[in-house]
Amino acid sequence: MRILILTWEFPPKIVGELALYVSRFAAQLVKKNIDVYIVTHDDSRTGFDQRQDGLKVLRVANPVRTHISVLTWDLTVAAEFERASSDIIYSTARTVSLIDAHEWLCVIPAIALKKAFDIPFVYSVHTIEDQRSRGATSPFNLAITNIERLGCAEAERVLVKSTEMRDKLEIRYGVSPNKIDVVQPSSDTWIDDIVKVYENAVRTPLEDFWRLVEA
Amino acid sequence: MVQRRNILMLSWEFPPRIVGGIAAHVHDLSRALAQNDLDVHVISLEFPGSEGYEEIEGVHVHRVDSYNYPSPDFASWTFMMNLNLQAKGIELMRSLKGYVDVIHAHDWLVATAAVGLKHLLRVPLLATIHSTEYGRRNGLHTDYQTMIHQTESWLSHEAWRVICCSEYMASQVSWAFGLPRQNVEAIPNGVDLDKFKAKFDRENFRKTFASPKEKLVLFVGRLVYEKGAGVLIEAIPKVLSNVDAKFICVGEGYMKDVLISRAHHLGIADKVYFTGFLDDPTVKLLYRVADVCVVPSLYEPFGIVALEGMAARTPVVMTGAGGLSEIVEHDKTGVRVYLNDPDSLAWGILRVISDRKYAERLTQNAYRKVVEAYSWSRIAERTRSVYERILREYEKGSWKPVSI
Repeated sequence: MRILILTWEFPPKIVGELALYVSRFAAQLVKKNIDVYIVTHDDSRTGFDQRQDGLKVLRVANPVRTHISVLTWDLTVAAEFERASSDIIYSTARTVSLIDAHEWLCVIPAIALKKAFDIPFVYSVHTIEDQRSRGATSPFNLAITNIERLGCAEAERVLVKSTEMRDKLEIRYGVSPNKIDVVQPSSDTWIDDIVKVYENAVRTPLEDFWRLVEA
Repeated sequence: MVQRRNILMLSWEFPPRIVGGIAAHVHDLSRALAQNDLDVHVISLEFPGSEGYEEIEGVHVHRVDSYNYPSPDFASWTFMMNLNLQAKGIELMRSLKGYVDVIHAHDWLVATAAVGLKHLLRVPLLATIHSTEYGRRNGLHTDYQTMIHQTESWLSHEAWRVICCSEYMASQVSWAFGLPRQNVEAIPNGVDLDKFKAKFDRENFRKTFASPKEKLVLFVGRLVYEKGAGVLIEAIPKVLSNVDAKFICVGEGYMKDVLISRAHHLGIADKVYFTGFLDDPTVKLLYRVADVCVVPSLYEPFGIVALEGMAARTPVVMTGAGGLSEIVEHDKTGVRVYLNDPDSLAWGILRVISDRKYAERLTQNAYRKVVEAYSWSRIAERTRSVYERILREYEKGSWKPVSI
């Protein structure tokens, strides 16, 4: 299986815990014979990077450098994520079968890629806007909340780390618990469980559209 | 057999949703392209009472949800509604089985959707830059403006080629975005001559604005500094000391009160008529009954007002700011006066009012020029040749929606 992981932070760019988490679990995926491409952001260290642990990382910068909020930053860098991901998908003859999008920041490119290539995505939710902003209801917070809600609706599966988060998503965003998988990183079967979630989410790719384009 | 080309146009406004000038431009251009044997799909935003899909004079118009949820500012809203434009774009391109040849984006307002679509489906992108943040604000003064500027720059660099409405704008875009000048095409805006052919009772209509013994001088534009309405007010007493005239100022703007009080101060209040906004057909008729159309602009990306005066066979007096000097040639198709100079403007107005034969010669030349260079069919031809050039280059390259 070939997958694409979208994350807004990845070493050496480390902002919170997400960068190290993704780097740790993605390296484990490689050991399970999964071909992992990571598309991530970095202001200066852009380009392709084949790491010793087998991860293939493509880093992009935001072409729009000046911003008024993280929201405008995210909504513009999304197109650059779409460019980099499309390039990977085309260069691997469209054999990417799944996208794993981490946090709301990567929801938008994941949805675009799903619609354009019929590649399903797993939305990995680590935190939600309600927790980060303590329930703030300004238009800024609501716009982010809306992106999170959109991510839950468009994703094939929603992946969380605790039953508490699963309940939150059900109550707050109305996500069916049947759509949510809980995989605790402390579990002995951590990676195997994630792989199961992936396999569950993969649909038959390549609709007629792409066959026509090929022909 | 020549293959029919499919063009996908993205615009944040399309009639009946009209905010600025892009709606009318995209409307006229897309209709003219459709008449030029192109299949044009316009994706734009919803408007109360309008259809989600309709065919207008051969143009396929798709309107999507304009994102009505809370958003903190205009730019964030713009980027959010781009998600809907993009989703529609993907759906449309897939329903057309990949047969979209060129994506044509209008201004930064559709940048993220357009750039994303380009790469997702590997279809060449063309951008029309109607104006720049740098030009609109006369520099970049805040982070917000810099962000818009960088988005415009990004779009113009992602685009295969860029279209601007004048050589002046093409040079500004090339300079402001560091874009090679040869990547930018100057294709003017057009004017629809049929809109100036409506039948009407000339004397009766004119009476609403001026008495038969008064010459009618027409100004159309926003009442803001860069349109030069202030210069016109200062010129009026100089004109009135020679001929009797009525000055009709059509448009709104933050300078309106200042201009009215200045007119009172100069003792010419009874000779200036501030009409406010007027509907388009009325403005077209006004052009036709006017004795002279003045364009005293200090900054002008294109100068559609001068073109409309020429199309209505009314002599035009203008400053030559920005794109104006490309439309009007002094002494041949109009009169050019000094910038920001009431004396010169008054001289220009008197020059055409006092010499009937001279004015007639100007209007004949001007009308011929409009037919030759500014008809929408001519502009559609030129736009089409840009599409063809892009497609020739695209076909030679390896960047395609198939595996490498």
